[in-house]
Amino acid sequence: MFQVPWSEYSADLWEGLLKTLSYTVVGFVGAALLGLAVALLRLGRTRLMRVPALLYTEIFKNVPLLAVIFLTYFGLGSVGLKLDAFQAGTLSLVVFYAAYLSEIFRSAINGVHGGQREAAEALGMGTLSTFAKVVFPQAMRLALPGTNTMLVDLLKSTSLLVTISAAELMSQGRLITSATFRALEVYLVIAAIYFVLCYPLSQGLLWFERRMHAGVPLSARRRRRLRAARALLEVPA
Amino acid sequence: MTSEVLTIKGLSKSFSGRLVLDDVSLSVHSGTITAIIGQSGGGKTTLLRCLNLLEQPDRGRIDVNGTPIFEDGVVCRDLPKLRRSVGMVFQRFNLFPHLTAVENVMLAPLDAGVAEDEALRRAVELLRRVRLAHRATAYPEQMSGGEQQRVAIARALALKPSVLLFDEPTSSLDPESTGEVLKVMQELAADGMTMVLVTHELAFAGDVAHHVVFVDGGRIVEEGEPRQVLGSPREQRTREFLTHFSREGS
Repeated sequence: MFQVPWSEYSADLWEGLLKTLSYTVVGFVGAALLGLAVALLRLGRTRLMRVPALLYTEIFKNVPLLAVIFLTYFGLGSVGLKLDAFQAGTLSLVVFYAAYLSEIFRSAINGVHGGQREAAEALGMGTLSTFAKVVFPQAMRLALPGTNTMLVDLLKSTSLLVTISAAELMSQGRLITSATFRALEVYLVIAAIYFVLCYPLSQGLLWFERRMHAGVPLSARRRRRLRAARALLEVPA
Repeated sequence: MTSEVLTIKGLSKSFSGRLVLDDVSLSVHSGTITAIIGQSGGGKTTLLRCLNLLEQPDRGRIDVNGTPIFEDGVVCRDLPKLRRSVGMVFQRFNLFPHLTAVENVMLAPLDAGVAEDEALRRAVELLRRVRLAHRATAYPEQMSGGEQQRVAIARALALKPSVLLFDEPTSSLDPESTGEVLKVMQELAADGMTMVLVTHELAFAGDVAHHVVFVDGGRIVEEGEPRQVLGSPREQRTREFLTHFSREGS
């Protein structure tokens, strides 16, 4: 059944895999940052902040990703703003996924009980530290499941970038197919690679969610602080 | 009496047209315990929340340790600094669920610039004081209501406030936990902590308070020594409340 000389293509596949991963990482980090900014604007005090953020979210939630990819790569290119495939690809992923992530972040920030903000304020904490030390860490926990789903979804969506020959896995698959005419075999292998990437990723994220939920301190500083507390408690008063 | 920690003059506040505080004046002296009693919806919690400006009054004046913090709609410039001198304990504890007990107590001092070692040492000392040192590294959800409220008291004390505000601190607790919390409050009282508490625990108010304030319809109807206000109230409204309350309580 396997007639494709895979050893000849392993370098191409490896390259495609790395490309897929870099689209995923850059796209996701960018989308998370932009999504957080949009979420904060949506929760802003004035309409001038809320309305543009709302428009942004609604537009990108209701336009297909493929249309966004074509617009940034071919559309912008036709009016002189030429982006290479990597720039256009990551930009598309960032603006598209930021819309979804902003919705997840917004509802997570809203989901933190109002009493938390009050307690921090009553302790004399300013607006910024209240957000950074009380609201944000709790919102992160609430946002984690939705955010993780989006990360896996984004990884799979990088395959759409085959349409602009982005040199990621799917594009490599297409090249190998056109050289060997073994579409079923090639795409089965490509699909399997996506599965091998996505399944451990989603399982790993679930494990991370459980750890976060159990309150395991993630930062070295917190771990050090709790160790110091335990040490201090050993000493009788 | 000693110096005034809190002074309120002519405080008024309305929520969407409904007057909830109507020209309220009150003084809280250093080292005393003031109990605010009254029916739900009578304005006692709003009054308490105005004292650290979680609720902003419409009119009136509030002084903390002789410094005006609010005067006719104008809030003092350094609100965080004011709030560090006025601690607050909430009905629903409001501990930070993502942090352990000791971290809950340390958070505000660290934020205010206290050094790590000092903040930790003080937090452990405070947890010992509320008899919860053994729960220092537990998370709020692993603790009983009474334990959570005692951590909340330790947290409120961490910045060495000059007055502690309690908003119905035992209303969401079972009788055993209520006893634990009241015991800690009694010890604080014995140490001379200035406290203002909104409470339904009339017996406790009668035991520990120096001054009882009966609030109804947004006004202070009657105030004075607990024996007088709770034992032989002058006002008809206070008598009605106390009769009604003792009938409900028994």
